[in-house]
Amino acid sequence: MAGRRLALAGLALAASVLVGLVHGPTPLPLSAIVSVLVHPSSRLASVIVWQIRMPRVVASALVGAGLAGSGVAMQALLRNPLADPYIVGASAGAGLGAVLTATVVGSLVPAGAFVGALAAVGATYSVARTRGQVATLTLILAGYALGIMLAAVQTFILLLNQHSLETVFAWEAGSIHGMTWAPVGLAALLILPAAALLFPLTPAMNALLLGDEAAGHLGVHVSRLQLLLLGLASVMTAAAVYLAGLVGFVGLVIPHVVRRLTTADHRQLLPLAVMWGAAFFILADTVSESVPVVGAVPVGLLTAVLGGPYFLWLLVRTQREGVVF
Amino acid sequence: MNLRVEGVSRRHPSGFQLGPLSVAVGRGEWLGIVGPNGAGKTTLLRLMAGTEPPDAGHVWYDGQPLAALSPGARSHSRAVVPQRLVLPFDLPVSAVVELGRLSHLPWADRLLPLAPAERQLVEACLEQTDAAELRSRSFRTLSGGEQQRVLLAMALAQRAPLLLLDEPTASLDPGHARQFLELVGSLVQAGHTVVMAHHDLTTVAQACSAVLLLADGQVQAYGGVDEVFQAEQLSGVYRTPLGVMPHPSTGRPLVFHRG
Repeated sequence: MAGRRLALAGLALAASVLVGLVHGPTPLPLSAIVSVLVHPSSRLASVIVWQIRMPRVVASALVGAGLAGSGVAMQALLRNPLADPYIVGASAGAGLGAVLTATVVGSLVPAGAFVGALAAVGATYSVARTRGQVATLTLILAGYALGIMLAAVQTFILLLNQHSLETVFAWEAGSIHGMTWAPVGLAALLILPAAALLFPLTPAMNALLLGDEAAGHLGVHVSRLQLLLLGLASVMTAAAVYLAGLVGFVGLVIPHVVRRLTTADHRQLLPLAVMWGAAFFILADTVSESVPVVGAVPVGLLTAVLGGPYFLWLLVRTQREGVVF
Repeated sequence: MNLRVEGVSRRHPSGFQLGPLSVAVGRGEWLGIVGPNGAGKTTLLRLMAGTEPPDAGHVWYDGQPLAALSPGARSHSRAVVPQRLVLPFDLPVSAVVELGRLSHLPWADRLLPLAPAERQLVEACLEQTDAAELRSRSFRTLSGGEQQRVLLAMALAQRAPLLLLDEPTASLDPGHARQFLELVGSLVQAGHTVVMAHHDLTTVAQACSAVLLLADGQVQAYGGVDEVFQAEQLSGVYRTPLGVMPHPSTGRPLVFHRG
């Protein structure tokens, strides 16, 4: 069962990578793409595949994987179906970081967002921490309060510097237009090791579903697990934000959909959500490129438009079957 | 396992204070903790389990200070059956009971399906608590009594010599409650050490080898069943007229409401 589910997710990911590579303004047949994948050269087809389409596909995969993996970790840590990668202040911190760099430095917006996201999560954690442990509800409330404060500061700075509005607004909508290898490599160095380190924690994440106390009774070092989950999830979130801006939906809904269709056992859920998140985001980005509008539709908007209705349908269907979230 | 609680006290921010008190439970003994609501039964169990640390005093497991044991070592020494647990997602019963084995397995094995010997152990625990037919159900969809049996199976899977039970039969029907208590009784016979907080005085009188009567965080009586279960004493502590007579089949105290 587990093997078949993983194989299916792997196939979906591979297929969506191919779709992402085939799609583009210059028509390239699948055979040409496969041949330059095997033998890279300096021909135009190879340059298009390796320097234009591949960075973008890999970036999409990283963003989808990072947000879905982070969502799984946050939902386990907070034992809350409403939890997403941004819930403890990451999005507000990223937003403020982006605005500060856009107005003060004028560029480096993604780097500012990255630092802002991590700083906000760190601040939330240190507020919510008492005697080494964190009450999950306190963490959620502290993240919420901090988010509102940071958003207010962000709005105020934007009102004083309206020339930055367009840059910041476009960035917040979420997009990976014109992606190059350098930022992709940097994000990969953060997201892939974080996901790999998250995997050995999945049995303890199962125990955490029973509650912090019960997990402790089963031998889990709860305060250490909380810190690891929050840290790894936030690094993945911040790196995804660094690549693509504030992409919503993926981190909340991919974990739910995969859990609903397969299992809540994190040993399977985490790898499955990571792969389906990557596949979904590559496809969403490919579609966003082909929408016939002047310029590209930000993929962050598209994930919501594509995924939202499916999620609602899944909700209604499972409710009818008598299962509640 | 010898559990020794020595001069332990704990004050809550609400002003409630438990202790200072001392208790000892040895191998093959079953201590019942009774007392009115808010007496401190659950707090005492939490101190015994190491869920929260005492403000003063010490808890010893076989002469080792509990405070010095790692979470993993603690889970090998004691298992806790809570009153109830609420899961946010649909984890299957088999995965819940498997969690009892978590700290026994090497890191790599935790990520894989259970080895056959471990699988058998988990199955045996499910059988023991009459929960085998629930194994592929979602824990969340079970009734309170079914959940209680699964939680006991999980605790048994820890293979810990000390069992701490908080109102374990509160949501069980009489048949399953009896089955549960007989199972715990057989564990005690086999050398387990058991501490059980419970509201049903007659049940405690039939099952336990010693009783601790608590009220307002202080020990009112501590000793053998016959010693603690005195009508005057119980009526005073519970502020209601209670009577005690020998149980018709066991001869142990049976507690009833007077008039």
